[in-house]
Formats: sequence, structure tokens, C-alpha cells
Amino acid sequence: MKVEILFPEICNLCGDGMNMRYLGQCCPELEFIETDIKSRPRFLDEDITLVYLGSTTEKGLAMIAKALTPLKDAIAAKIDGGQLFLATGNAVDVLTEAIESDQADTIEGLGLLQGKARYKMMQRHNSFFLGSFEDMEIVGFKSLFGHIHESGEAAPLFTCARGVGRDGTEGTADGFRRGGLLATHLIGPLLVLNPPLCKWLLRQMGAPDSLAFEKAALAAYEQRLKEFKEPDRPWKY
Amino acid sequence: MGKLRFLLALWMAKLSIPALKITRHNGTDFPGALALRICPDFLRYVGKPKTIVAVTGTNGKTTVSNMLADILEGEGHRVMSNRAGSNITSGVSTAFIRNCDLFGRVKKCDMAVLEVDERASLRIFPPIKPHFVVITNLFRDSIMRNAHPYFIADILSRAIPKDATMILNADDLISSGVAKENKRVYFGIDRMDSDVQACINLIDDVRICPQCSGKLDYTFRRYHHIGQAVCRDCGFRSPEVQYLAQNVDFAAKTMTIREAGESYPYPLITDSIFNVYNMVTVTAVLRQLGFDHEKIARVLGASSVTASRHSSEKVGDVTLVRQMSKEKNALAGSRAFDYIAGREGRKELLLMMNCLGDVAHWSENACWLFDADFEFLAHESIVQIVCTGARALDYKLRLLMAGVPEEKIVVERDEFRAAEKLHFTSGDDIYQLYGTDSMALSYKVYDHMKKLALARSKEVQA
Repeated sequence: MKVEILFPEICNLCGDGMNMRYLGQCCPELEFIETDIKSRPRFLDEDITLVYLGSTTEKGLAMIAKALTPLKDAIAAKIDGGQLFLATGNAVDVLTEAIESDQADTIEGLGLLQGKARYKMMQRHNSFFLGSFEDMEIVGFKSLFGHIHESGEAAPLFTCARGVGRDGTEGTADGFRRGGLLATHLIGPLLVLNPPLCKWLLRQMGAPDSLAFEKAALAAYEQRLKEFKEPDRPWKY
Repeated sequence: MGKLRFLLALWMAKLSIPALKITRHNGTDFPGALALRICPDFLRYVGKPKTIVAVTGTNGKTTVSNMLADILEGEGHRVMSNRAGSNITSGVSTAFIRNCDLFGRVKKCDMAVLEVDERASLRIFPPIKPHFVVITNLFRDSIMRNAHPYFIADILSRAIPKDATMILNADDLISSGVAKENKRVYFGIDRMDSDVQACINLIDDVRICPQCSGKLDYTFRRYHHIGQAVCRDCGFRSPEVQYLAQNVDFAAKTMTIREAGESYPYPLITDSIFNVYNMVTVTAVLRQLGFDHEKIARVLGASSVTASRHSSEKVGDVTLVRQMSKEKNALAGSRAFDYIAGREGRKELLLMMNCLGDVAHWSENACWLFDADFEFLAHESIVQIVCTGARALDYKLRLLMAGVPEEKIVVERDEFRAAEKLHFTSGDDIYQLYGTDSMALSYKVYDHMKKLALARSKEVQA
């Protein structure tokens, strides 16, 4: 089974890289392929079990848009065909129609997801997130320059119990799900912080769903769940 | 109207100073905050000393500004600084308020050395118009506040006045690109035996050419993106260095500084590369201010690096080491871990870099742990790691992922009980890693550690 990490030289912020490292520790049989920004993504032509795209800089988003826009139809066909593709943090934004900023030119996105990201560069949003996915509880963090607007009824990834959804308002759903694309604005080591989700993803990949350091991972997850559920603990930083 | 408002703000702020003194709050930024509330343009109107040096950057700005202020004062300058307060707008304003007369004229100081927070620079640099802007380096800092170093570089480029002379780190391809149009000089450290070519750190923020996105080849790399690089595709390369530290010899405590083809001997007052950078930075600033090398070497030799970040003492049969590792800062953690792993001898560690403010009012964003090089702590010389505080379980998981054997890891949420779990084995170095937020608590825990170390020593002797 192959996992393709897209553009690791620029998509590596917020500890996002640990998602793939942890997946590798859970399933040592996985083969990881790193594709740089000047190369054609391998999943378009090869059998790749999972594609991963992590958080990046604003310049990085522009570079990704430039690199992938000519391939957007092929990417759409792949994810609609069930290609597993995980995008975390602001990487989601480049998959939408556009990224508008109060301090930079608009970046035209790939348009794979409905809506536009709007950034306010000096008003960074920070919050924790408690939500659910299928029968699992999800924990995570958001640290973003903006949110998605005009995303309509596009299918979300996570429901939200505490925190903000993809449009930046309290309690709305987070992220997007389209075919095999799992897109969340939660940053960092999503799979490390959410052992049940990591197991689910391993099963989707057809890999054994045993976790590395499972006891320690579950203990940290349970403690975080408990903290996030405390009603007096504000979710917004 | 603006000037009247300024004077009102100044007088109110000055009146607050004795009041704060009486109530024993004289170390705060209240005067500056009050002045800014009354007159948001306060820094524009207040008088300025003849020369202003502003020091910013991710790491080292406190050390560099304190060293500079000490040295310049020692050389007879009357130096305004914000070391007693904060490095944001209110702290800088407070420094001006304390040093100006009732009309806002700064007569008693001929020079200012101001430490400036990178994000606050947008509100500080345009009105004070520093003559020299020093950027020590730009690394990842708080994910929540600073996002990534390119975001900060962009803020600085917008904030720095066009006529300021930049004093920049040539070994850092992020900060060296700030304010590209400005006059600039660079400092750096020549290739060292400990340098490598491939990055061994998780954080490596300059993997591709800033100009063409081509692959960069590092001729040497010190840590993270610090080093000298050349682009394979377009030939872009790290800048030429005007003040270059060479022959760094930690054992002999010497180095040389090369400038314009000549080498000058310098004492070394530190055993960490980070502080060598701080020394070279100070040297570059003093050269720009007209000091000669002989004098700089002499005053540097007589100065010291701020002890609040690292100190050690022999207690009983062990050495207790306090090592700051700023919370929510992966880079600070990585540098501290690398330093500790590289020291000789057996070590026991107490990890207490929790953000106590977040523990009480939020829930600390733990993502930074997964950017930090905990892998250094898998070194065989580290025999025990006690994880404490609200994020102790996250530390444990991260340590396991980094390859630390589970039997070396102890989890104890209470900081004082955690100290009691340390072995205090005779001859060991016992490191306490704390952040700025946990500093006050860390002193209390450290006192407890001292008692424990002494008691353990007596037990061994008995």
C-alpha cells in the first residue's frame, strides 16, 4: 500500500507531518512517497491508497493552486471515484473556489469544493474543536486566518459540538467530504490526537487497524475529550 | 489637537508612575498603556534619542538587547531600554515615558536599545523610525499567534522604515530577505565541525529557493534552516557576510570575527551556538555604531549571557540545571532538547513547559509538540523523563513516537510530586525544563528539587 504525501517541502506546518509519521508507525508496511511541488502527483496515474495534503503558508497555497489547477478535472475524477485523500488545516482552502485576503491578491482555488476562503491576516482565529464523525468523537484545534463562505449545502466532514465549523460560526459543521476526499480545517496531528479516527482511516485503507502506542494515545485522547466537554471551559482562545 | 492630546497622555502617564510605585506595581506597562489609550499616536509625538537600535526576531532578542544596553551604558552612553517592561507597544511607550521630560523631550538619553515583538513592529517601527533594525532570526513560534515565519517576515517588511539600516543573519534565509530595499549588513558563523548538510530537524522552513522554488543545496546546515544554501536552478545563494564568526572553540573559549578580510580575536562567553549568534549580532551592531573590534572584544569578555534561560548548580551529589524551553514553541523545545542531548553525562529530565494560562482558561493547543524534535530526547544518556502538568499525557505520547523507551517515561500530573519521581542518581545532571508561563511555578518546584537532591545525597552518604 502506498501513501503519497503532496508537497512536503511546503506543506508541513502545525505538526501536520506527524499524521503520516504516525500512520507509518501504526502500519510499518505502508510505503510513503513524497511528491514535490514541481512534480505531477503520482495518484493521478498510479494506484495510491491514500493522498495527504497538509497545512502551508499563503505563498504555499498559491504555489499549490498554480501546480494543481491544470490537473483539477483529473483530481476531481479521482476523488469522486473514491480515491482516499486527506487534507488538513488551510490546505482545504486551496481546494475551494478561491482564497480572498485583506492583504494579498485573491488566489483562484481548484474549485473542487464549494465556497471561498476569506482571510483577515491580523485576526487569526484560535479555538479548540469537539465534534463527531460517524460514531466517533473528534477533538482538535483550529488556528486559521479565515473561514469558508458560500459553501452552501456541501457535505461536511465533522459535526460540531463545541467550537466553530467551516464558516467560522459556532456549532456549524466542519470541513468537507466529497467522494474519497476528507477535508478538515483542524490543524496538526489529527490522527495522533484521534485514535478512533486513525483506526477508521486504516480500515478504509485496507490496513490492520492496530495503533502504535495505543494505550498512551487513548489516554491522551480521553483526557482531551474530558477537558473539551467541560462546559465552563471556553472553546475560543 | 494631536500634540495637546499627546501632552495630556504624557502627563497622565507620568502621574501614574509614582502611584504605581506606591502600590508596588512599578514594573508594569501601565503608563504606556494609559498613554496609548488617551493618544494612540503617542509614539509618533514623543521625542526620540539621537540613535535608536531596535532588536527583533524569534529568538535571542532579549539577550541581544540586554547585552547591547549593558555594554553601551558601560561605555558611557545614556541608554533608554524597555528591559523592565514588555516588548509590545505599551512596553516601548513606557520606556519613552520614563525617559522624557514633561514636554516629551528625551534629553537624558542619547541612545535607545529597544526589544520589539515582531507582530507589534507594525505599530512601533513607523512612529519611532529606528536607525538600525536587528533581526536575530525568524523561526516558527506560537502557531496561534505567529502562524509561520513568512507571515512574520511579511509584517516586518511592511513595518520597517525605508531608511533604517538592517543588521541581519546571513545564515537565515527567512530573516535575511526582510525589507529587501533597505541598506543592510549581515552577520553569520562560518562552517563548524558540528555542521551537517541534510536537515535532521522536523522544522525545516527553507527547503526550496525563495526566488524560483527550485531545490536548495546547503553547503552547510547548522540546525533547521540555519546554514548557507545555493539554488540548483537559478543560482540564488545566501548573502555575503560582513561580520563572520570563525574558529569557534568552545573548549578554549575563543573565536575570531572576520571583517573585510581581517580577523580579530574574541573571547567566547558561552557554550551554545545560539549564544554565539547572539555575540556576533551584538558585535555587528557595535561595529555599525562605530566601536572598534578591540573594544568590542574587551566589553564582550566582561559581559555575560542572561542567566534566566539556563543556569546550573551542584546540589548534593547531582547538578541541577534550569533550562528554559518556551511553551507552545517547537523551535525553543528543539534547541533545548538538542543542547541537552549533546551534553556529556547522564541526565534526568523534568518536563514542565505547560502553558498554565491555557490550563486555567482554555486547553493548550498541543500541535507544537509534534513540530518539536523530541527525537533528541531518545539519546541514551537521558535515563529518565518525568512528564508533568496538564499536558503530561501528550508529552508521553510524543516521547514514545520519538523513540524514547516507555520504561524511561514517568507521568505525574502534579509538578511537586513529579519532582519526587526523579531518581537524583549520584553524578546525574537533573534538568528542569520550564516555559515563560510556568516560570514562577518552576522556581517553587526547583526549590523542592533542591531539597530532594540534598536529602538523596544524605541518604547515599549514610
